[in-house]
Amino acid sequence: MPEDILVDIKRDYVLSKLREGERIDGRKFDEVRRVEVKTGVIEKAEGSALVKLGNTQVVVGIKMQPGEPFPDTPDKGIIIVNAELVPLASPTFEPGPPDERSVELARVVDRGIRESEAVDLSKLCIEAGKSVWIVFVDIHALDDDGNLLDASAIASISALMNTKVPASRFGLGEDFELPINDFPISVTSLVVGDKFLVDPSRDELSVGETTLTVTVDKNDNIVAMQKSGDYLLSESLLDQIIETSIGVSKRLREEILRQISKS
Amino acid sequence: MRKIVLPGDLLSTNPKLAGHGTYVEGDKVYSRIIGIYEQTDNFIRVIPLKGKYNPSVGDTIIGIVREVVSNGWNVDINSPYQAFLPVSETPEAKPGKKLNEIFDIGDAIIAKVMSIDPRMRVTITMKDKICRAIRFGRIVAINPARVPRVIGKKGSMIKLIKSELDVQIVVGQNGLIWLNGDRRKVAIAEEVVYLIEEEAHTEGLTDRVGEFIRRRKNVQTG
Amino acid sequence: MSRPDKFIVDGKRLDGRLPDQLRPIKIEVDVLKRADGSCYIEMGKNKVVAAVYGPREAYPRHIQDPSKLVVRYRYNMAPFSVEERKRPGPDRRSVEISKVSKEAFEAIIMKELFPRSVVDIFVEVLQADAGSRTACINAASVALVDAGIPMKGILTSVAVAKVDGVLVLDPMKEEDNYGEADMPFAFFIRGGKIESIALLQMDGRMTKAEIKDAINLAKKGAMEIYNLQREAIMKQFVEEGEENA
Repeated sequence: MPEDILVDIKRDYVLSKLREGERIDGRKFDEVRRVEVKTGVIEKAEGSALVKLGNTQVVVGIKMQPGEPFPDTPDKGIIIVNAELVPLASPTFEPGPPDERSVELARVVDRGIRESEAVDLSKLCIEAGKSVWIVFVDIHALDDDGNLLDASAIASISALMNTKVPASRFGLGEDFELPINDFPISVTSLVVGDKFLVDPSRDELSVGETTLTVTVDKNDNIVAMQKSGDYLLSESLLDQIIETSIGVSKRLREEILRQISKS
Repeated sequence: MRKIVLPGDLLSTNPKLAGHGTYVEGDKVYSRIIGIYEQTDNFIRVIPLKGKYNPSVGDTIIGIVREVVSNGWNVDINSPYQAFLPVSETPEAKPGKKLNEIFDIGDAIIAKVMSIDPRMRVTITMKDKICRAIRFGRIVAINPARVPRVIGKKGSMIKLIKSELDVQIVVGQNGLIWLNGDRRKVAIAEEVVYLIEEEAHTEGLTDRVGEFIRRRKNVQTG
Repeated sequence: MSRPDKFIVDGKRLDGRLPDQLRPIKIEVDVLKRADGSCYIEMGKNKVVAAVYGPREAYPRHIQDPSKLVVRYRYNMAPFSVEERKRPGPDRRSVEISKVSKEAFEAIIMKELFPRSVVDIFVEVLQADAGSRTACINAASVALVDAGIPMKGILTSVAVAKVDGVLVLDPMKEEDNYGEADMPFAFFIRGGKIESIALLQMDGRMTKAEIKDAINLAKKGAMEIYNLQREAIMKQFVEEGEENA
């Protein structure tokens, strides 16, 4: 991965600030950057959302089409999450097939949606064993200023909230709103020694991509976790991060739902 | 059996004792490799049982020339790193003499590690009386981690082999060993080296090796 | 396979185990001649083999790091390892498993000792049951020791699942597929104790309290596996010694 010379300089700055108990942008350790959610930004898509998390920007589009169900779930719809970290979004993203970072990102977002049962897949059956709705969630990173994962997760669930099932286009009756049961929120923290910073910015990530993501459903259950990066995590820190993530997810969910209901 | 330790095994709570094959975190000394635990009054170390040769300045090594370049030779030293032998570090270099007339690809040499930069670029020299091109004798290869046992405490094992068999031995720290002398005695020495490699972790090895040599000599003469 | 009505009957699991019981484990060290270190493990019906090559010069050169060792980890499933033939080559699941496993080992390998070089960890799943990633990490950990790679300690991996509201150690296929949650761990073990977490994933639904219990259950299982890893590594020396005595 090509590394900017500025990364070294930033790293020292982040660490020296951290020793003083501060973040470089003045945020509290459990403070998320300003979040902005706009839904319905792509008319051609069944659902869509543009999310800004600080300067990080992601657009998610939902496309749907009938298809064959999985043999073990003949009466349930299917969700497929895919992420493209296109070169436009960062000097370190390269063209080509999805690398391990984009694969991981997509799979962690997928788990949050799947395990919280956010989408009621049982209502997406067209003909049991033959035809069900397939929901494609395509994550398109526009600007990676850190924590693309949480921005992508927010954009994905927001886009799903905004999705109309295009039944009429396929001669399957009237369009209807995609049934949504939950609103999972992923909270990623950067782990630095015995401290952690919620929603790390790109500059903060210059100390290393050592993160823990905790995805929380609307009832404060944990539905997904992912430790990412070459570090060792103590049990006590894990405990604190889970606790903090639950609190952060509550506040973030309220804020996002408020914005969506207005747009 | 001698005590074998694994990475992460706690060896001591006195960081001052930390020697080779160990590392210190907090005030604790841990092993960082699989090896034999050894303690003296002054230090604790772990003699590796496995692993690649990692060069260190001053090591005697045996290498094979892999490439002749404009100002020297690239030499395979049985390590993650190739070594470079500059032409200025060979006594045999003379004006007008082509480099491949001195050493050509495939030639074996005994050399010493002269310097290693922080990027692990290894430079070797042949300006030492032990250094030479190997044009006769035998080279045997063993696991580099077992070299300390072949040498023995203060060279005791080598001395034993030399005195019992009257052969020339140069042990490269990189696991390559040069044996030279009477053909039959060299053959015994080779067996001895493999024996030591195989039983490096056991106790009373020097005695057993002495006995082994005497037995093999009797077979040959008797 | 279909979803069983009940996962736990009379306190026992479908395969007769208690909730805190591991599947049978078999570990063999130094099973491959060409590799610098190797290990074969069976964990239940998982059969995996790990090989370590290196440290060796890193090629292509652009992957070299001038200040430290580069670690590569390749988790690969053989096409015949599962019920329905798996298409050869890395799929998204394998890519993710390889990434998080690699990072777990990066945290304990003393990379700064070998600048510009690479260590390759190849793990082949010959037969997959639930928890193949944990079996692979256990095998890789032993293979790294066997290769003489300097490390801060050893990794031991095990998963915990939730079925019928009960936490179970080292889930089998049914528990993995139809359970309410799955949580694979790898622990960093040093000085005979679990010190921290090197790999952590989770999917399903669990409360904060359940996660705490899951960690404790996983730690208990990991210590049992650690003792087996240790025993297997030590065994080769005992045997050698006896043969030549």
